[in-house]
Amino acid sequence: MCGILAVLGCADVSLAKRARIIELSRRLRHRGPDWSGIHCFQDCYLAHQRLAIMDPASGDQPLYNEDKTVVVTVNGEIYNHEELRAKLQSHKFRTGSDCEVIAHLYEEYGEEFVDMLDGMFSFVLLDTRDKSFIAARDAIGITPLYLGWGLDGSVWFSSEMKALSDDCERFISFPPGHIYSSKTGGLRRWYNPPWYSESIPSTPYDPLALREAFEKAVIKRLMTDVPFGVLLSGGLDSSLVAAVASRHLAETKVAKQWGSQLHTFCIGLEGSPDLRAAKEVADYLGTLHHEFHFTVQEGIDALEEVIYHTETYDVTTIRASTPMFLMSRKIKSLGVKMVLSGEGSDEIFGGYLYFHKAPNKEEFHRETCRKIKALHLYDCLRANKATSAWGVEARVPFLDKSFINLAMDLDPEWKMVKRDLGRIEKWVIRNAFDDDKQPYLPKHILYRQKEQFSDGVGYSWIDGLKDYASQHVSDAMLMNASFVYPENTPTTKEGYFYRTIFEKFFPKICKQYPREHYDNKRIEDLAGIHQLSISGHLHNAARSTVPGGPSVACSTAKAVEWDAAWSKNLDPSGRAALGVHDAAYEDVPEKTTVTANPIAANGFAVTGAVEFATASPASA
Amino acid sequence: MCGILAVLGCSDDSQAKRVRVLELSRRLRHRGPDWSGLHQFGGNYLTHQRLAIIDPASGDQPLYNEDKSIVVTVNGEIYNHEQLRKSLANHKFRTGSDCEVIAHLYEEHGENFVDMLDGVFSFVLLDKRDNSFIVARDAIGVTSLYIGWGLDGSVWISSEMKGLNDDCEHFEAFPPGHLYSSKEHGFKRWYNPVWFSESIPSTPFDPLALRKAFENAVIKRLMTDVPFGVLLSGGLDSSLVSSVTARHLAGTKAAEQWGTQLHSFCVGLEGSPDLKAGKEVADYLGTVHHEFHFTVQDGIDAIEDVIYHIETYDVTTIRASTPMFLMSRKIKSLGVKMVISGEGSDELFGGYLYFHKAPNKEEFHQETCRKVKALHQYDCLRANKATSAWGLEVRVPFLDKEFINVAMSIDPEWKMIKRDQGRIEKWVLRKAFDDEENPYLPKHILYRQKEQFSDGVGYSWIDGLKAHAAQHVTDKMMQNAARIYPHNTPTTKEGYYYRMIFERFFPQNSARLTVPGGPSVACSTAKAIEWDAQWSNNLDPSGRAALGVHASAYEHATVPASLSAGKSAAEMNKKARIIKVPSQGVIIST
Repeated sequence: MCGILAVLGCADVSLAKRARIIELSRRLRHRGPDWSGIHCFQDCYLAHQRLAIMDPASGDQPLYNEDKTVVVTVNGEIYNHEELRAKLQSHKFRTGSDCEVIAHLYEEYGEEFVDMLDGMFSFVLLDTRDKSFIAARDAIGITPLYLGWGLDGSVWFSSEMKALSDDCERFISFPPGHIYSSKTGGLRRWYNPPWYSESIPSTPYDPLALREAFEKAVIKRLMTDVPFGVLLSGGLDSSLVAAVASRHLAETKVAKQWGSQLHTFCIGLEGSPDLRAAKEVADYLGTLHHEFHFTVQEGIDALEEVIYHTETYDVTTIRASTPMFLMSRKIKSLGVKMVLSGEGSDEIFGGYLYFHKAPNKEEFHRETCRKIKALHLYDCLRANKATSAWGVEARVPFLDKSFINLAMDLDPEWKMVKRDLGRIEKWVIRNAFDDDKQPYLPKHILYRQKEQFSDGVGYSWIDGLKDYASQHVSDAMLMNASFVYPENTPTTKEGYFYRTIFEKFFPKICKQYPREHYDNKRIEDLAGIHQLSISGHLHNAARSTVPGGPSVACSTAKAVEWDAAWSKNLDPSGRAALGVHDAAYEDVPEKTTVTANPIAANGFAVTGAVEFATASPASA
Repeated sequence: MCGILAVLGCSDDSQAKRVRVLELSRRLRHRGPDWSGLHQFGGNYLTHQRLAIIDPASGDQPLYNEDKSIVVTVNGEIYNHEQLRKSLANHKFRTGSDCEVIAHLYEEHGENFVDMLDGVFSFVLLDKRDNSFIVARDAIGVTSLYIGWGLDGSVWISSEMKGLNDDCEHFEAFPPGHLYSSKEHGFKRWYNPVWFSESIPSTPFDPLALRKAFENAVIKRLMTDVPFGVLLSGGLDSSLVSSVTARHLAGTKAAEQWGTQLHSFCVGLEGSPDLKAGKEVADYLGTVHHEFHFTVQDGIDAIEDVIYHIETYDVTTIRASTPMFLMSRKIKSLGVKMVISGEGSDELFGGYLYFHKAPNKEEFHQETCRKVKALHQYDCLRANKATSAWGLEVRVPFLDKEFINVAMSIDPEWKMIKRDQGRIEKWVLRKAFDDEENPYLPKHILYRQKEQFSDGVGYSWIDGLKAHAAQHVTDKMMQNAARIYPHNTPTTKEGYYYRMIFERFFPQNSARLTVPGGPSVACSTAKAIEWDAQWSNNLDPSGRAALGVHASAYEHATVPASLSAGKSAAEMNKKARIIKVPSQGVIIST
């Protein structure tokens, strides 16, 4: 990933403004530690912090068309850039960068080229001939992007909120799949796949087609000139990514440069379920496996930074981001710059445990649509920002445009969980990779139910977070939470604690204050950067970029209606709430302990499921 | 390099304080991007930001002795750690880190072990048994270190000023070669070599002994578990470093892991003297050579960042740091974590051009002593901080303890410039590596005078800086400079401009006192200005126009044509391999 910052139509074109924009751009330097670039054209500034993955030698940005009339600053990877280049025969390219096609496509097709790009991207393109500009974000929002407006009428775009939050009067999260055009002055959606309407598809399930689509999605993501690896938690999704990547690695260009042995990475508290599960998969695949152990204290010490980097106060996101953030630092220190990861599968296939309670296929399907549309606020945000904090790029093959089209075109009847037919969650993808002759994974791994959310890194992680938060947040504070935080009011001490940290970095009101102001010093400290001046304005945009509302175990608010009992227990993790994990269906002797469980006494009949699951890992 | 921050004897051991210390420690993260550590013991906090060079897998810090009663946070490299480990046979080591010996040495020898360490280091050691601590910094100050005091009686130690300047009532640079002991509430100098007294040595020049000492200094610095390279500007010092490194690389552990081909790096404006000279040497040595080009605008855009990182307003230091800072980022992006560099030679051998005017050998020698003692404020500070800004470690073999001893015990008569005997500056060093049979460098390179200071990256660099500063600083501002900045008053617009930036980042009075000042000509100390009556009239800190002692200023060419045409070893089955990494840098359209 790279970091982009663009300011267009600034009233101030002084040397001081240039210095200020360079300074703000430095707040994104973690995303692109390898080089910086800035292009000024009259009152427009396009800045870039580069992580060099493709063409490290010459691909410094901003990028240009032949005569330099079109300038573009891009964060992203365009997987079909060679194919697109071939189409642009009449154009002369300046670099080997995959992103350079954007400038030439614009020249050739005007604003209508975005859907031709296969990849993940956020970019700002300035046409100096008529001083117009466009900005766009990829279909699902794998790359982050924010859009802001200054009091002087300037329009701001930034990969992360932190680079524009102090200088914009108002800002929003740039909607994924959209394009902003200065000519029309507004946003419009360029991403219009059939599934977007949420109508119910009827295509029958074709396992081989699904498999092939996923393999293609992985293969195109092996495009890199630098060492890479796979995040492997040992769950189904990451194991499939690792299995497919290791199978196709040998054929790629990257293998010639960096060897054909796949590196895999896993993090957890000592002895955690993920570490065990991942090791098993790594052993099976024969990867070069790296295990990182962290302690609850290390995680807690990192919380402020995690919130600064991920720019959210969403509880599950922060819980899951922290281990990923710690692991990314270690991965980077090994010289690895890019990782493949399994995000998106749970949304596309309804893999969250609460999908067990979907009343019918229509509800099931619509919930998956809603989940995908919200990914940019949750798992995409986490995966991108937790890794980018250390200059590591995450690629997510499940969110490949073609793969989504295929997976979301499937009659949802097939995705429904049916115990009687032996179909557990994500059965369609498991079955698609169930190859007896040349197995991708051993069956017990392919069909295993693993810990969800952050339980896998070790149960004491979430307990530790809760304990720590309760030391900082009193009952009285929580009681007054709705007055302090009327918007997305935190309902738990943990949520309250994260919120206080978030508000410190991204305050709802920043008055004009001197540079010594504590909160801003904190931002500097976190960023490892420094600011010469703070010109804050009144704003309250930051907290509105974070989603809220009721949820059970990662469901949307709508799906909470699926079970009357759920609305009473809105723990964002699924551990104690759902009672749908495999082990809960079995009549196990430990059930006696369930009745002793205080949560069970509150009326949740089958709780403690996960405890059972660890005692006897389910294998279908 | 790593980053260390320690707060000792703090009255506050709350969670909030812990969070604050973590936060401050993060200001040093550029020095150690690979991992962080914090050890808290009551009101004592020892933090560490690690750059993993030795034992990346297990050497996370802080480090401990066997029973964890002694905790140590270290920034540095201990080159003789294996030897020291052997002397500690009854101790059990927890990691493969070279720095772990410090905890065990303390356990064995108390506070008096520092001189046993061969390397560069800054460390804080906490003895939990009696709640005492010691702090030490290497002999010359190759690693950076600051000490401060909080209003609550706490003592603060930080690799860079930015880790403590906002929280200390008073702070200063930690003197190199010193030890601070909490038991004695003060500093004592542990580094007591013969040369420190500045008495005039009389050992005759032994070229082979000097050569051997330098080779040893380079070889011990090849200790690494990660990819490394050399900074090669094409001048004598960096060329010698590269030549010796290339010669000894093959036998090392590093070569087994990362290949026997040496990577060399050079930065400059397009077409600059350094780029040309660096390439010539790289061709001769057959290194994998990387050239980085920057523009004046790239450099100017980086100035604020540079001053923030190197924490000085000294004009020559900032001029020279900027290209090094830009190059370090590119080097790091290639996956290289450590570089060997040629700092220190000019101080040891009187290599600055103003030494031509030294009136006698006593003055000459004393000036070299003063220069070596001040290195931590100038070239050591620059080399360490400009590279550490990007998580790159620099190693400086000329500042090896043993090598310094040898070099500083030579009768200074030999170091004096004697045109009549064909001895230009640093002649003893050139002569030591003048090997006819197995040449380290071609003669014309070995005996060439190169641009000094920042001229080598391109003449327009300094002109560009001056022009940029003049846009920001008016004549009126200069008139009032003495009132605004009574301490170390800037005398040029360029100096004023740097000072303004420095003061914005480090507004405390203590901060400005950490930076040296006073009159200087072409990097001389204030004392040496007395050598030539005319110098005090022209205090340009660069030497270009001021001195009139560069070879071209003499009537006859310094180097006989026969020498310049000396046989190149490239002809002797060494094939040059150059990978040019063109950097389009920051493109500016105006």
